[in-house]
Amino acid sequence: MLTTVEKIIFILAALTSVGFTYHGFKTIVDSIRKGRPAPELKDIPGSLVKAGVAVLFQQTIFKARKVLSAIHMGLFFGLITYAFVNLTDALEGLIPGFDLVYGGKNIPFKFLPAGVINTFNLIADVMSGILLFAIIVMFVRRFITKDKALTFRDNILLNPKVLAGAQARDSLIVDVFVVMHVGARLLSQAYRLNEGPDPFMPIASFLNSMVGSSEVGVHVAWWVSLGWVMFIIPYLSRSKHTHFFMSPINLGLAKQNPRGQLDPAVPLKVIEGTRFDPGAKHVHDLAWTRVLDAYACVQCNRCQDVCPANFYQRPLSPSALEVNKRYLLKEATFGSHPEKLLLPLTETVISPEAVWSCTTCYACVRVCPVGNEPMADIVDIRRRMLIDGYEIDSGVQNALQSLATNGNWMSKGKRLRGKWAKEMEFPVKDATAEPVDHLWFVGDTASFDERVIPNTKMVARIFNQAGLDFGIMYKEESNAGNDVRRVGEEGLFEQLVEQNMAAFGKSQFQRIVTTDPHSFNTLKNEYPQFGGQWEVKHYTVTLLRLFEEGKLTVKNKLSNYKVTFHDPCYLGRYNGGFTAPRKLLELLGVEFHEMPRNCENSFCCGAGGGQIWMGKVAPGERPAENRIKEALTTFESNASDKKQLFIVTCPKDMIMYSDAVKTTGNEGRIEVRDIIQLIAEAVGVEEPAVAEAVAA
Amino acid sequence: MNIVVAIKHIPSIADDLPVSGNNVDFDSVDFVLNEFDEQSIEQAVLVKEAVGGTVTVVGVDLIEELDNILHLAIAKGADKAVKVTADEPGADSHMQAKWLSEAIKGLSPDIVFAGVQASNDLDGQIGPMIAAHLDMPYIGGVSSVEVADGTATVNKEFAGGVGAKYSVSLPMVVGVQAAAKPPRYAPISKVRQVAQTATIDTVEPSGDASSGLTFKKMAPPVATGHAEMIDGSPKEVAAKIVELLKSKGLA
Repeated sequence: MLTTVEKIIFILAALTSVGFTYHGFKTIVDSIRKGRPAPELKDIPGSLVKAGVAVLFQQTIFKARKVLSAIHMGLFFGLITYAFVNLTDALEGLIPGFDLVYGGKNIPFKFLPAGVINTFNLIADVMSGILLFAIIVMFVRRFITKDKALTFRDNILLNPKVLAGAQARDSLIVDVFVVMHVGARLLSQAYRLNEGPDPFMPIASFLNSMVGSSEVGVHVAWWVSLGWVMFIIPYLSRSKHTHFFMSPINLGLAKQNPRGQLDPAVPLKVIEGTRFDPGAKHVHDLAWTRVLDAYACVQCNRCQDVCPANFYQRPLSPSALEVNKRYLLKEATFGSHPEKLLLPLTETVISPEAVWSCTTCYACVRVCPVGNEPMADIVDIRRRMLIDGYEIDSGVQNALQSLATNGNWMSKGKRLRGKWAKEMEFPVKDATAEPVDHLWFVGDTASFDERVIPNTKMVARIFNQAGLDFGIMYKEESNAGNDVRRVGEEGLFEQLVEQNMAAFGKSQFQRIVTTDPHSFNTLKNEYPQFGGQWEVKHYTVTLLRLFEEGKLTVKNKLSNYKVTFHDPCYLGRYNGGFTAPRKLLELLGVEFHEMPRNCENSFCCGAGGGQIWMGKVAPGERPAENRIKEALTTFESNASDKKQLFIVTCPKDMIMYSDAVKTTGNEGRIEVRDIIQLIAEAVGVEEPAVAEAVAA
Repeated sequence: MNIVVAIKHIPSIADDLPVSGNNVDFDSVDFVLNEFDEQSIEQAVLVKEAVGGTVTVVGVDLIEELDNILHLAIAKGADKAVKVTADEPGADSHMQAKWLSEAIKGLSPDIVFAGVQASNDLDGQIGPMIAAHLDMPYIGGVSSVEVADGTATVNKEFAGGVGAKYSVSLPMVVGVQAAAKPPRYAPISKVRQVAQTATIDTVEPSGDASSGLTFKKMAPPVATGHAEMIDGSPKEVAAKIVELLKSKGLA
């Protein structure tokens, strides 16, 4: 089809395009390689294939925004189709007489059967229409209806380029490209139809009915279509649309170890001669897999939607973190500002206040369709800030200091940890002194907080009633260190692990049970790295087993209660502990209603990652308050006279939500209870009568 | 500039204080750094950061566990650590002040910081006594110190929110109420690193300066009185309160 001159121009243009594309991707790969060693990835080919399958079926995007995800699916399949379409278009240009219309009947040599070509033509034609439709929806969403989900709040640190609208410009370029490219391609086919409509090319045939056929038209449309491609491919390597290529790779190289196991503060694989400071100050202090994150992110902001800190009007947006990383890297590697790589991340990527707003709830990582881990970056930044002597919140500092001296964050003496147990009406075994079957790791809040201790005692009574052989470690137990590690105090975390390992070493036990999801997470997922290989269970699992084995029986069905259940982040999203609490509630006979945000999509109470230690409380509706409202709305749509309960299985939740019920003025409408309180009522275990000694 | 911080290791009151015989049961109590000494270490490091010099932290090792505290001080910015190996958990302020002064003399200090008081005796005497032993001026209740050209500018807090600014020729002893900034946090990894590398100088206690006081009895306070919770509607509660006040002859 093309003239010789056209062919020469095309080949030169294609070579130039390939050159720029190569340079683009080489720059990206070099930049990724400058990141620190990441935890070892096993069977990379296998996980890349798995990721490829996930991408092919678009599995990971449907976790949120179902309709838009379907539109994305149209874009995805459209662009995949167009990879083949561009190839055949190039052949049509270069090979004389090579023409796919009408089933390829005019091709002068033996090619594929007409049926195959017609199928291809039909797919290409229909996908062109879908692609155009999808891109127009995306365009309207960004530029006409201006979906707020694509914007960032004013208090969030943004790269100046982003502030100046670089994201929208990138989107516009790609939108225009797709419209022009697909439109031109359809036209080029329409102009070819000089023998009337082709039933396998409905859209092209329709266009043909309007514009007719034209040899000149074929040439012009062909050049517009293919010319755009030769421009856009190298451009993609310099824009957020590296997403097209990097997201499947990133998904294949995503975190493999358990969700609840943080990357170490200093890379395990230390390259010879390189001394790594803990945590991250500069972008290339991040593990290479997390430098790659920035190139995979297409800035959809799904993570921002689910972020409790973002909801709370804090200056944190996980997607802004990735976006800023992306533009920083671009300015430094493609632009003329390599020195920007040496600016602290806290000035270029995320504000210090945002760093300290993260609750480490994992919602952002869980929802990310491309396997990014903004939360891990935040923890790494905290780690370095602590080492560099950055002034931290006074409440956090007090907690850390108390943890270092007392082994708990509440400035209580070690000996007071088992005080509640000594007040019990039966002896609670000391696991460090005599063998027990279940070692109960109680945790700080359940051991010391007066608001939670009644529940702690009730757990002991139920265990006792069920004949469970259990004991606690009294003063030998230290905070497990889950939140300490997530605050970034790796050294203190290690110290606490050592203290607990020493205590475990003194004790004889078969398994660990814990009432605290945070302790549960680190004991289960992180202690094994320090030699602590035990079976660790959350008390809901232990209690369910006791019911199933008949050691506990429901005497009173609690059908007078209407309840909902809050999945604690560190039990649910981190460790998949969704079923035991729900099965328990079913056994108890309560009327159960699920909140819209449940299980994997549960909404953080706002206490994790050290937030509960913060001295300063920010204004605005807190995540816990929002959650209580969610529960009440759920109850409203199932109205009845029953008593409404908000059930928790985490001591921190007990505190956070009891407060939230008060601050939202909902006392009397909803009550927060630990699941153990319901179990006690159903099983018929009561608190012993309070001694009258206090009264006059 | 030679900056010295005199610190005190004291029984922790995070637990209920155990009493044995006529004193604290030193075997079953944890020892911690006096909280005002945390402020005075911070103030000393701030002065060093402003004008240069060396910060030496000196303390009496009462129960052979002072090293942790000294390592923490070094991690926070002190340069040297000295411990007086007394192994006498009940040593009172007079004895400690004497031993500390003897240890500090050899350091030829330009300025000595001490916490303004400690919770174990609450007499606030260590600083003044060190000043007396070293024959230096003393100002206590201090909330910030700046040093320039051999003179310290010291802010002192008085009761009732009144403050005063003094200009004092060095050397001097300062009793720190609060540092100019909140004490910094020393990450544990740094403290542990210090613990592996730092050396602590040891000094024998010398000089006797007991207060001459002896404990006759120590006991936890006996709980007296009680609180009565009044239930009912606001009206009922109000009526009961009125009745109660009348019955006590107060209304």
